[in-house]
This record gives sequence, C-alpha cells and structure tokens, in this order.
Amino acid sequence: MPLSPGLVGDLQRILGPEGLVLSHEGRLVYECDMHTFYKGAPDAVALPSTTAEVVAIVRLCREVLVPIVPRGSGTGLIGGAMAPSGGVMVGLNRMNRILEVDLPNRCATVQPGLINLSLTKAVEARGWFFAPDPSSQMVSSIGGNVSTNAGGPHCLKYGITSNHVLGLELVTGRGELVTLGGKVADHPGYDLTGVAVGSEGTFGLVTAITVRLVHVAQAVKTILASFADLEDASEAVSAIIAAGIVPAALEMLDELMIRAINEGTGAGYPKDAAAVLLIELDGPAAEVEAQGERAARICWERGALEVRVAQDAAERALLWKGRKEAAGAVGRLAPTYLLQDAVVPRSKLPAIMRELGAIGARHGVQIANVFHAGDGNLHPLILYDDRNPDELERAKAANEELLHACIAMGGTVTGEHGVGLDKAKNLPLQYGDADLNFMYRLRGVFDPQRLMNPKKLLPAHPACGEGWRPPRPRLPEGAWI
Amino acid sequence: MSTVTGTVGSALAAIVGAPRVQEGETAPASFALDGARPRWVVRPETLLHVSQVLGLAWDAGLAVVPWGSGRDQELGAPPARVDIVLDLGGLDQVLEYNPDDLTVTVQAGVTAAALAARLGARRQFLPLDPPGAEARTLGGMAATNASGPLRLRYGTLRDLLLGVRFVQADGVTTWGGARVVKSVSGYDVPKLMVGALGSLGVLGELTLRLHPLPDAEQTWLAPCRDVATAQELVLRLLDSTLQPSRVELLNAPALAVCGAPGSAAAIAVSIGTAEAAVKAQGEALGGLARAVGSAAARPAEGFWARYAAALAPAESVRLGVATLASKVAETVGEIERAVAASLSGAAPTIGGSAPLGSLRVSLPPAEPASVKAIVERLRAAVAPAGGSVTVQRAPRGVRLALDPWGPVEPSAFALMRALKEEFDARRVLNPGRFVGGL
Repeated sequence: MPLSPGLVGDLQRILGPEGLVLSHEGRLVYECDMHTFYKGAPDAVALPSTTAEVVAIVRLCREVLVPIVPRGSGTGLIGGAMAPSGGVMVGLNRMNRILEVDLPNRCATVQPGLINLSLTKAVEARGWFFAPDPSSQMVSSIGGNVSTNAGGPHCLKYGITSNHVLGLELVTGRGELVTLGGKVADHPGYDLTGVAVGSEGTFGLVTAITVRLVHVAQAVKTILASFADLEDASEAVSAIIAAGIVPAALEMLDELMIRAINEGTGAGYPKDAAAVLLIELDGPAAEVEAQGERAARICWERGALEVRVAQDAAERALLWKGRKEAAGAVGRLAPTYLLQDAVVPRSKLPAIMRELGAIGARHGVQIANVFHAGDGNLHPLILYDDRNPDELERAKAANEELLHACIAMGGTVTGEHGVGLDKAKNLPLQYGDADLNFMYRLRGVFDPQRLMNPKKLLPAHPACGEGWRPPRPRLPEGAWI
Repeated sequence: MSTVTGTVGSALAAIVGAPRVQEGETAPASFALDGARPRWVVRPETLLHVSQVLGLAWDAGLAVVPWGSGRDQELGAPPARVDIVLDLGGLDQVLEYNPDDLTVTVQAGVTAAALAARLGARRQFLPLDPPGAEARTLGGMAATNASGPLRLRYGTLRDLLLGVRFVQADGVTTWGGARVVKSVSGYDVPKLMVGALGSLGVLGELTLRLHPLPDAEQTWLAPCRDVATAQELVLRLLDSTLQPSRVELLNAPALAVCGAPGSAAAIAVSIGTAEAAVKAQGEALGGLARAVGSAAARPAEGFWARYAAALAPAESVRLGVATLASKVAETVGEIERAVAASLSGAAPTIGGSAPLGSLRVSLPPAEPASVKAIVERLRAAVAPAGGSVTVQRAPRGVRLALDPWGPVEPSAFALMRALKEEFDARRVLNPGRFVGGL
C-alpha cells in the first residue's frame, strides 16, 4: 500500500530531498538482503543522519501504523533487511561515526552504520580490536551485527556479539529513545541490553552502541590438518577441546568443499583429504606454543595425513584464504545454493555429518560443508541449479530435513545468522507454544503495535497471536481454593 | 482469616504432599525474611510442583518468594508481601552433563559445590566464584547475577547461562535459550532472567556453559604505595598481552583481613593456563609491577578463599559500587572518605574487579541514617561516569531507609515496569523487592 502523501511530505521535511528514496528503481535496491529468495521492496527508504531523525521517523510511522524495517549494509543471510509488508525502511548507513574510543576502559561507542572492520582498523595500531568477526566484517555494519547477534570464526574463544555489547541507545517501537546499559559493567535492573541484542529490529532501531574492545594477543598460531576421514577430523576436534584447549577458531571443511576451494582459489589444500581442520590459537606466546604442539600431536594421533603450521602472517593468510573464500568457491560446483546455520552439540558432529550425507543422497542434491566445528555450528551449502525448479524443491526438502535432524540431536536452527523471515517458520521445531508466546509478549513490551520489522523472528503461529495464552497448570484434586 | 489459611495450606499439601508444607509458626527460623516468618514454606520435589504452586498463588493472589540457599535474601528492598517461601533446595539434580560439549543442565537447587564435585573428575568447571559460592544454589546465583573475581576472564552468568526453564507467575512452565553453546534462535530470554531476582519467573532448570580447568594456575599479590598506583598497575596490565583470570584491587583493611597487612593497597592477580605460559606471564607481571615501584610476590596458600571471606563478613552492610576502571582509585578514595565522615573514622573493607570497575564494600553495622548518607554521597560521586551503588546486604531498617538499587535511567525503567506488568500483573513474584519497587 503506498504511503499517504501526508506521511511522505512529513518524512521529506525531516530528511530533506536526499534523505528519502521514493523512486521504483531506487526502492528495488532495498528489496532483499543476501538471502535473495525473499523479496519485498519498501514503499520508501529513509536515510537519517541523526538520532533525532530516527525518533521522528518512528513517531510519524507509528501514528499512521506504517511498518518500519531497519537496514544496515544489507549483508544478512536470513531475509531480515527487507520489507515483506512494505512500509518505511530505515537505512542507517549514514550514521557511521565512531563517537568515542576509551581504551583505559576498554570500550568504544559507535553509530550503527559503522562497518565492523572499521572499528578494528581505528584501534589496532594501539593494540586493540573488536572481536566479533562475521565473514562479512569488511562490509557488514555493527548495527546489523547487533541486530542479528552475529558470530564469526573467532567467537569460539571470544564469544558472539552479545558478549561484547555494553550498552545501546534504542528507539523503541513505542517511539521512545531509550538508553540501555553503558560503559560501566554493572547496571541495576533487567538486562534489557542483553535481550535487545539479536532482536533483529523487532524491538526498535538502534542508534548508538557501546562495545567492549579486546587487546590483541601476543602470539597467533594457525595450524592446518588434513584427514582422509571426516570422522577422524571430528574426533580430533573433540580431543582438542577435551585437552582443555580453547582455540580462537576451529574450522572444518569437507571433501566437496575442499575440492571446490582447490579449484577455485588455489589455496592448495591436500587433494586426497576428506576433511581439513583449521585450528587457530592466540594468546601469550608460551601458551600458544604449548597448546599448538599439543593440538598438532592430537591431529597426528587421530590419523592426520598432514599437519601444517603457518610460520608467519603470510602463511597464515594463505591457510585462511580457502576458508574465507569457501562460499564463493562453490560457484564452481553449482549455480546457487541454500546456506544453513544450524548447530548441534559438538559431540554429535560425526553423527550429523553421516546424516547429512544420507539426506543429500535421499534428495539427490550435493551438500558441501564448511563450519565452525569448535562450537558445532554447521554451514552446509545445499547446491542446486536454479534453472531447474525440481532441483530447488529438492534442495528445500533437504534443508528442512537437515534442520529437523539437528533439532533432534539437541541443537538449534540458527547459531549466528539469525532468524529473519527465513527461519521464523522453523522456531516451533525448537520451542513449545508457551515459549513462543513468552517471546511474542516480550516483543510487545518494546513494540506494542508490532510495527517494527514485521514478520521477522517470530512465526505466524497461534501462540504468537494477540490474547492467546498457554494452558495453565492443572492442579491436583484438593488444591482448589 | 484462619479458614483462608487452612484452605491454602491444605491446597499446598495436595500439590506437594503434607510433609513438604510447613505453616509459618512451625517453619524453621532459617526461612524467616527480615525476621518475619512467611505464612507457608513449601518444598517442591519437581518442577511440576513449582508450576502448580504458582498456579495456585496466582489464582489466590499470594506473594511467592523463591528461595535457594537463602544467602542473598537481604538483597534488594524488603518484600512488600510474603505469603509463600518456595524452598527450591529439593530440586537438586544434575540432569545432563555432556563433558564433550562442555555443557551441563542442572535443576535450580543444585549447589556450586555439588556441581563442582561432578565436573572436577573431567577437569572442567563452572567459573563462578562469588563469596560463599560453594553453598549457594545455581538458581539463586542466576537470579542475583552473583559473580566473583573470575568474572574478568569468564564473564558472569549472563555469559554462562545458555538456556533456562522457568515458571511464569501464573504457573506456565517456559523455556528460553538453547542447550548448545551457540544459538541466536529467538530472543535471548536467559539474559532477561539473569539478575531479575525471580521477579519475572521462578528459575527451574539451567543449561550452563562450562570451561576446562587450566593446567596450572598461580596467584600474585603486588602491594602498592597507594590506590592510585594500584590503578596505574591495573591499566598497564590491561594494555598488555597478559591474559589474567583475576585482577582484584584491595584497600588496606581488605589486605589486613586477607593476612597481608602493611600496604595502602594491592593488586591480586591470578593466571591460569599451560605451565610454561603461567611462568612467562608471571615474569612479565613482575616487570609491570616493578615499573610502578611495586613487586609481585606469591601470597600464602588459600588467598582467594580468604579474599572471598574478607569481602563478605557476616553482620556487615555490603555495597556494590559500579564505576569505570579509570575511576577506581578516585572512587575508592571517595568511599573511604564518605565512610569515615559518617561512621566516625571507621574504615571500609574494599575489594573488587578493578578492570571492570566493580567494587565490593563492606561497612561495620551502622544506623540506617548513616548508611543512607554514605550511599547518597557515593551515588552522587559515581553518577557522572554512569555508575551505580547498590545495597547488596543490609538489615531491613537500612533497606527501608533508602532505595537499595538506586535510580534507574527513566526511559529504561519504563520498559522494566512494562515487562513486570506484562508477565506478573498480579505481583506474585517477589513483589516490591526489585528496582523501583517492582
């Protein structure tokens, strides 16, 4: 439904002629994120430069019940920064300043549109970095990272985005500018900062973020171990963790992915390997040395074909090169793919890999795997040819079956990408009616009219309906008063 | 009145069995809250019992106080009403321990000591060390977000709680979070429950992230000529590549209680990792200490146990002061001056995680008006940095005389009040005790 001339006029007055995109072609640029299945162009794109403008946009849209969709760099993988119900998209890229760097207190305050890597670049010369490192970190915004609670290869040791967010400035769906948390570590009251991180814009729009900075480690060691058997590699992962080593990253690639990477990037992984493990340790030099030796020994003990240790930064970059270009490299195998993000308990890795093979065979699709083995976070790429509608259907069926398998093993449907439109329908696999209803009501506290990023995160489900309540406990006889 | 009492008592007995319900006068004195006994003490055997008791309380409009070890029941404002104390000590099962995944699921009444005994055999642990942790329940520590020095390296329960099963005020059993170490599926409900003092739900089961025990660990104490020097040492340590597990600052009275008297302040540091790395970092720490005119030496065995005891003496008034790491020295000075001014020259015991600006203060027992004057002065002092002063433990009179939580940013408090209204409109759960009288 097009916006009323009154709203458009008001938005233009606030944002100026350069701050509001209304043209058809201009809006189409914003119709999807990196999950291009899901398309929905907004009726207008607002590009605010200040927090006051964001507040004004939310208040104007609320008055006439127009949906509001936040967007950072649009690099999400979940159908998040797109507008299935139309409305006003708020692009936060212009709000990209670093407001404060406070190294004695190990924190920085930034605007949401700041690119993730820009923060690290601003402080690395002084020996510090921002730890969350999604693969998109060269382009994704910190606001987007906060919205999806993004992870990355190094969150095995350093934790995901929420472990690094100290405070937020949030314009809620109520149209109020709220300050949550802050530079000081402890705040009395409910941890609203914690619950707002990962809320995917359904609570409101984040306009400033205070994050923890981390001191760079004295030493880094990267080890690449290849195995003839994927189960051996999985066992090596478990053995490394069992030995009390917490690597900064612990990544695994399977045979199909190794082939694609070797052909695509020239990373030079061993050709006959069925699995490659990438182990990165960082910390005080003596610790990295001791743990690196131990990790390498474990790999040999589990039957590694080869164990390479990068001797310098250039070699380290080469070992990582294949991993970082994995998603691009599969383009050699198939025109397109579905990317999953499910998690299983780490000990279930061998079982889920067997199951994945069976699912792929059953549906006649190839599945390439590159994943965060250390925390059981899978990233299967289900390959298909989009020119063949039947193949797409089979890929989708394999995808659903895979999610069910992960949940059956005690896992979760998304480890770091987020829910968005894509996985909202899958939440009932993991949560009961009462659990969904609690989340639905929680969202209503921040956004009573449910205008903020509608249709995302929560499913269309009876338990996510106004007035629905789960059954109360039945009391035994004699307990009635 | 007596008929109502009789009816509720028999209803509770029908749920949990008569031996698990004690009427107020016959309940053990240990369940008294601020000296007053609740009308009933109920000890559920299962989570279903918890759900049914809350279902009953919701319908009857009764106030319920969830109870773990009871150690922190003097945290927060005195309750507005107390009808039922829900003794969760019977929910003491470790439900599922997955050492290969470094996760464990426990019932809320499991104590830290019981869990540690189970994990130690696999050289794993839950890095949570508030004073008195051994006897405390995991549910209680989650509800109060209790933490200790290890927080610097491992975070608090905010970082360690992966999933939680809780019972809402109306008795509906609910799950939030995940059983795996990484999940962003749905809202991060566990964060909402940590530190909420059971005011949004009674915690029933917790899924926790575990860590491997380090191969080796050592502790050093670096005495400093004054608190400012101690802070300088902390800031240098943070801007180095050392990776300590604990960095605590102690003032002179705290040092004396820990058996290391003689200096105005000190930094206590522990490092846990591979043996060679402990040694190398210890040497580096020594260098940092010398650069500020201090020296890092090994304290007598058992330092951290003495430290925990020093920060939480039994009959004291205890405050939590949150400030910035860069303002720790200034804040310690202000605390000492405020206490001396109000308590005729008395000296507070102060310790805390200097890198996090999280200080614990204990005062000798004092009149409510004196404590109030100290707290108000300190709140004014830390407010510009965005800090806070909370009363962690004090007699009822003190907690009535002042707001134990202090002010909460009004826009954030409006949301907190709305949350309480949404999930506990009848004020069943710990009414009146949380921030702003929630």
